[in-house]
Amino acid sequence: MKTKSRITSIVAPVVTFVLIFVAWEIACRVTGVPSWFVPKPSEIFHSMVVDFQVYLPHILVTLQCVLIGFLIAIPVGLIVSTLITSFPLLNAAMSPYITFLVTTPLISLIPLLMLAMGYGMSMRITVVVIQAFAVINMNACTGFNNVPTIRRELMQSVGASRLQTYWKMILPSAATDIITGLRLAAIFATTTCISVEYNAGNTGLGSQIIKYSQYMKTPESFACIFYVTIIGLIMYALISIIQKKIVNWQE
Amino acid sequence: MQEPKIKFSHVTKQFETRSQTILAVKDYSMEIQPGEFISILGPSGCGKSTLIRMLDGIIDTTEGDIFIDGVKVNHKGKKMPAEVLRKMGFIFQQPNMLPWRTVRQNVALPLEVFGLKGPEWEKRVDELLEMVGLTEYANARPNEISGGMLQRAGVIRAMVHDPEILLMDEPFGALDELTREQMNMELLDIWSKTGKTIIFITHNIEESVLLSSRVYVMGTNPGRLVETVTLDLPRPRTLSMITQEKFIEYRQLLEGYIGEIDLSKIK
Repeated sequence: MKTKSRITSIVAPVVTFVLIFVAWEIACRVTGVPSWFVPKPSEIFHSMVVDFQVYLPHILVTLQCVLIGFLIAIPVGLIVSTLITSFPLLNAAMSPYITFLVTTPLISLIPLLMLAMGYGMSMRITVVVIQAFAVINMNACTGFNNVPTIRRELMQSVGASRLQTYWKMILPSAATDIITGLRLAAIFATTTCISVEYNAGNTGLGSQIIKYSQYMKTPESFACIFYVTIIGLIMYALISIIQKKIVNWQE
Repeated sequence: MQEPKIKFSHVTKQFETRSQTILAVKDYSMEIQPGEFISILGPSGCGKSTLIRMLDGIIDTTEGDIFIDGVKVNHKGKKMPAEVLRKMGFIFQQPNMLPWRTVRQNVALPLEVFGLKGPEWEKRVDELLEMVGLTEYANARPNEISGGMLQRAGVIRAMVHDPEILLMDEPFGALDELTREQMNMELLDIWSKTGKTIIFITHNIEESVLLSSRVYVMGTNPGRLVETVTLDLPRPRTLSMITQEKFIEYRQLLEGYIGEIDLSKIK
């Protein structure tokens, strides 16, 4: 029974996937819609495979930007959220600016950052770090602030130090919220990175999507979009693995 | 007369909220001798939980002194020292297990924090698990065992560092009646074997009469001591005593005190 349901959980989405693309393919062939308007999936997959060498450098640029930005944002987000939830004064001083950071659309800052830092990797990674940090920090703060009082009392009753309380109780209590933050941040990091690439320079999948659209090479544009999706999926899978390894209990 | 194990001397606790000052406990005094089993009985909001939290250093006192073995233990704004905290074990109303730890790891938590290591302490954890029948669930996660088992784990966690005093905050209140009766009997058994001093917080009159040697009745608004009733009932106590005349008399006496408080102040 269990293996049967596992097979179903793998087979069912694959069938859906195939059906959607078959329907899309048929619709294109029957209606004869021009390829620059809606390309056939077969054209897109063909381009993804045949032109892989052309796309690869851009895939690597985007992947690098997303991964590095995300990996920097994790420790920064966790450290800042820990500090501001541990010290009320720091929280009072910082929280308006952190809200400011979350609510300001970062995309609107890109032209200014380009002016200050140029089109290169360092500027792109900076934008991704700021965005991912804001999301991770916000969710981690929620987690740290929602630790049940009764658990704090337990640690107090055995005379735990601040550090013991943090490592043995607060951090694991907040783990579920932290993981939610990482998941959201991974999505935001990818989106933000593509937005930056739309605006800055001529490397990265974002820049290629713009370039091919301008030449009405829609299949190539779609190929790049699908590669972005794959990067998003890789990030998502990464977080799921972390989650299974670390948060393997039920509240 | 020997020195009291625990002494409250004119203890007062005020909570400041944004809109008002709440007098949670007013001028509370009591003395408990070593090895006594006493209960503090009162309706919700009478400050009974606040009392034992002040004793265990979880919250500060506003006025008055608390002594353990003749030594003043409450110092405003200061953490209670570990050697004082080690004398006490706190049992919460909920099991309050950390869900990422196994039952055994949860029970051993105080040992980790107090820095008590070594085979003798490991053996103690095993013995306690054995005592409450949790040996085969030692490596289970809290969400895998029943409420009664969880509360047993909570009881032995409070005992693992071998404290002299157990503070119990309505420990079995969340359990069903049958399990609660059974847990009460097990608790009496543990008490008679270990001779620990127990403060048992409850709002259940029958439970207070069944378990303790003396009942402190508290009232609300402000939380204060209304009456102290010494129970002259033989030990060991059994569930069958509940129907005896003397037991019923005590119960009615306490109901009288509680009833006066409830009707005049709460409603």
